[in-house]
Amino acid sequence: MKYVAIIRQVPDGESKIKVDGGKVSLEGATLILDQMDEYAVEQIIRLKEAAGGEAVVVAFGPERTEEAMRTALAMGADRGVLITAEGYVDPITQAAALAKVLAEEAPDVVFSGGQQADWDSQALGPAVAEALGWPSVTWTTAFELDGASAKATHDLDEGAEVVKVALPAIFTAQQGLNEPRYPTLPGIMKAKKKEIKKIDAAELGVSASKVEILEQQIMELERQGKIIDGSKEPAAAAAELIRLLHEEAKVL
Amino acid sequence: MILTFMDHDGTKLRKSALESVTRARKLAQTIGGEVVGLLVGPGAETVAQEAKKYVTKVYTVSGPDWQNYTAEKWALAAYAAAEAAGAKVVITPASRSGRSWSPRLAFKLNAALLEDTLDSWAEGEKVFASKYSFLNRVLEKQAASFPAVISVKPNTTPLAEPAGEGAVAALSVELGEVENKVEVLEKISESGGKVALTEAEVVVTGGRGMGSAEAFGMIEELADLLGGAVGATRAVIDAGWRPYGEQIGQTGKTVQPNVYFALALSGAVQHQAGMNKSKVVVAVNKDPDAPVFKESDYGVVGDIHQVLPVMIEEVKKLKNA
Repeated sequence: MKYVAIIRQVPDGESKIKVDGGKVSLEGATLILDQMDEYAVEQIIRLKEAAGGEAVVVAFGPERTEEAMRTALAMGADRGVLITAEGYVDPITQAAALAKVLAEEAPDVVFSGGQQADWDSQALGPAVAEALGWPSVTWTTAFELDGASAKATHDLDEGAEVVKVALPAIFTAQQGLNEPRYPTLPGIMKAKKKEIKKIDAAELGVSASKVEILEQQIMELERQGKIIDGSKEPAAAAAELIRLLHEEAKVL
Repeated sequence: MILTFMDHDGTKLRKSALESVTRARKLAQTIGGEVVGLLVGPGAETVAQEAKKYVTKVYTVSGPDWQNYTAEKWALAAYAAAEAAGAKVVITPASRSGRSWSPRLAFKLNAALLEDTLDSWAEGEKVFASKYSFLNRVLEKQAASFPAVISVKPNTTPLAEPAGEGAVAALSVELGEVENKVEVLEKISESGGKVALTEAEVVVTGGRGMGSAEAFGMIEELADLLGGAVGATRAVIDAGWRPYGEQIGQTGKTVQPNVYFALALSGAVQHQAGMNKSKVVVAVNKDPDAPVFKESDYGVVGDIHQVLPVMIEEVKKLKNA
């Protein structure tokens, strides 16, 4: 069997964001394999380890995405395919190009992260699935292969459900699915020699982005910070808190 | 035409449906055309009696094939309705399910997807939207051409008022190949999930400082008293005290309630990503230097096991007053 993880490179959530000229600037930012994609990469490596086959990472992004792809290869993926395009391209447009690569790779199972840490988008996995005419299951917390289908547990708006899905199919991953491994030193050394095939997005007939980002600004709400010291008289502090919420904030 | 997907629970519309109608009406004022609705799944006919008060026409898609939600089926129904209505814009809720099927719909329609939007408007031949990005830390403005699929972030938009009496039309949608690809084997209900977390006006979240799964009984009690929902941090989920569906943060759900209680949690950046747009944030933590206090409007420095029971009693007094 063949397993694919669709990955992206994003700024580390722990690092500060800068805006320059009305756009987010990633200059100097620490760029990492999206933490949500780590679950996807871990899952395809586990599938390969359990049943054999090949674990391939696929991405659409700027040249620098290769660094994140090397991380996935260091974790244990076999090889990578990177569709290169500089600048912002929306997930729906990306999906058409990724679908072409996936149609050629013909995997049985595809995983990707549940939400992207830069665009806060959840669209890529379902859009690629639509482009291929495959089923998609989002927010997967448990997964097992069962012949030509897979059994997956995933979260809904309320609660969760267990589904049986005909393969090939695309699943988006979230915390709980697995515990992603750290790349080992030998893993990192091996990853340097693993193949990353690069394809220019233009060769795949990628059209212009359907969505344009006009401006971005850092958005932090001012908080009042009215903190009551309840270390000595917790009951009085709790009562005062509820009084403030009721009378001053008027939210209770 | 503008098509608005109207989410419902089988007997009545969800709040998100009325937010979507407001957005649809706003766009209709600029680009013209009528607002038509779509109801999918069990109970669509019943809910249509309520839904038709908000739109000029409401399509229903239901029957034996439509008992269980799958992203493929819902996208197919929305596509059929969009085609039938000749829709230039489709408005959907940015719920988990809405965000799972709306990308599929956008691809089918070769449309732009404006995802999880705070607001949306049109000028000339362009549609615009604002949304958060970079883990909820950046506000951005996006532009696209028509056709467009716009998902509406919950709790961002005023609820629409009824405005007349529209028509109801059953729409027959052939499932074709999509039919048997996803089979639902089992439903798992969320414990204590009386209110959908992402739609709740009040969210009460406990962190590792709660100390045990049992201590979440107090969290549930406060949430119930306030008609709210229970949340949990990643540490709590990892400890197995609460189900995954309750996780707030980067790898969990994003909420934006009126009041957010951050109880016995430190306030890591990953957690902030899931709640930092709440209107009022209330924190209780025994550590005065916990980062959560910097992100709070009100707070108490103190032992949660002494503070929370009194909070509950005081809220009960308010309710009985």
